[in-house]
Amino acid sequence: MSAVDLALFLTVIGSVVLFGGAAVLALSWAFKSGQFDNFQRGSLSIFGPDEPPGEGTDAFPGEPSPRT
Amino acid sequence: MPAPLTSEMIEANRARSAAERAAIDASCRGPVLAFAATAVFWLLMGSVLALIASIKLHSPYFLTGSAELTFGRVRMAHLQAVGIGWASLATVAAALWQMCRLSRAELIYPKILYLSCALWNVGTFLAVFGIIFGDGQSVEWLDAPRYAPPFFIAALGIVVAWVVAVFRRRREPHVYVTQWYILGAVFWFPWMYLVTVFMIFWTPATGVVQPIVNWWFGHNTLGLWFTPVAVGTAYYLIPKIIGRPIHSYYLSIIGFWALALFYSWAGMHHLIGGPIPGWLASASTVGSMMMLIPVLAVAINHHMTMRGHFHRLRYSPALRFTVFGAIAYTLVSVQGSFEALKDFSEVAHFTHYTVAHAHLGAYGFVTMIYFGLFYYMIPRLTGREWASPLLIRVHFWCAAVGITVYFVALSIGGWWQGRMMNNPSVEFGKIVTYLLPYLFTRSLAGILLTIGHLAFATSFIMNLAGWGKQRSGGPTFFVEPVGKAT
Repeated sequence: MSAVDLALFLTVIGSVVLFGGAAVLALSWAFKSGQFDNFQRGSLSIFGPDEPPGEGTDAFPGEPSPRT
Repeated sequence: MPAPLTSEMIEANRARSAAERAAIDASCRGPVLAFAATAVFWLLMGSVLALIASIKLHSPYFLTGSAELTFGRVRMAHLQAVGIGWASLATVAAALWQMCRLSRAELIYPKILYLSCALWNVGTFLAVFGIIFGDGQSVEWLDAPRYAPPFFIAALGIVVAWVVAVFRRRREPHVYVTQWYILGAVFWFPWMYLVTVFMIFWTPATGVVQPIVNWWFGHNTLGLWFTPVAVGTAYYLIPKIIGRPIHSYYLSIIGFWALALFYSWAGMHHLIGGPIPGWLASASTVGSMMMLIPVLAVAINHHMTMRGHFHRLRYSPALRFTVFGAIAYTLVSVQGSFEALKDFSEVAHFTHYTVAHAHLGAYGFVTMIYFGLFYYMIPRLTGREWASPLLIRVHFWCAAVGITVYFVALSIGGWWQGRMMNNPSVEFGKIVTYLLPYLFTRSLAGILLTIGHLAFATSFIMNLAGWGKQRSGGPTFFVEPVGKAT
């Protein structure tokens, strides 16, 4: 096995370990930090007091945004 | 039991939340607009190059006087202009803005991102014009000359660092599904790009490993760079615009992790029938079919979220583009899964059918969602509404009709092209002649798309120049909800 072959082999193996390891770490962090505990709350996280659920936030210029 | 909020407290909460959102938008305004504006420039460049390449396929004596404008160079330059220029710069703009908003965190040191934007544009300039002047590499998706990648790597490094920095400074404890997609994209793409450049150009692998790496990268550029950010954008825009949470948040998380698990397998279906190990192509076909899981998860979710709200497509330009893109995502992904089957590939491979499929993905899905994002995001960054509803309508209908005509014409022509190529009794010249009307129709569709892009660019420039009406509805509403309008 030449030095180039070895470098390429390590790149491929390194990629597998990095990709797989990162996915496992991210998933375990998400479980531990409670990201998957309450899906209903998660889905509401993009809204806020100024843009609450039930209010549309876009319209053609000059036209009112209808209520949902 | 907490005391009920008084109307003054509700208004105060609302004002505080609006001020926070406005401060976040203000913090990323400059860099995001820089990435978005240069993306639009490369979209126009890419459109011109696409038209030249398309016309040459049915009128081969068009612009034959110079080596710079030969089909091979113009077509490669088009791919770099729209792939690395338009779509990637728009992806960065989308990732930065949405990560700031969803993390509820301001962008720090925004001026460094101007450097990233400049580096990316220099790289794209070198890629496009380097190819036109003869320095292109014969590697699909990596056609850029060898002096271009260092600019992309440096630019990408800054973007990734800033996205991660914003995420780490988040005030919102929950990680929304869009953030998962963005984090996935900024983790996957730089690594893919570095490995590919390393294995193809810097320390070249030998033999069939090169095309394997090439198509692992080529397919994953769509699947692990554009797709996550575009799907994530739809997951943000659709609920925000209609004011209704995602139908099944659980399903959206399943969709993300299924994409993370299966997408990177799929690239080898580009080499079915090629000189690669049979098991590799088979594994890729399996991965492609498994992609039905995340695709159907996203499709069900988007459709069920929109259910009962389709009338809002009349009112919101951003929603109109985004929903078109979301529908195209389902279509192109399901089509792609079946296209990966070996029997299907026997006909569709190496034909215009594949070109139609690629454009449904890159344009019908990714580009349409980014158009939707821009129509939503830009007024919130500049503080001005779009100046002309007419230009938006022209843009939408040219884009929607254009890509539909493009897809239908090349799919039909390409399928029969494949059938005829598989029949040894059909002369090759006859196949070329048969395709002419389909290729001509593709050029007409390209003209429509370009007209749409000109309308979009005009709107964009007018907005940046301050021609639009100043938004009067406070810092966050594009148009104040009914009853609040002043």
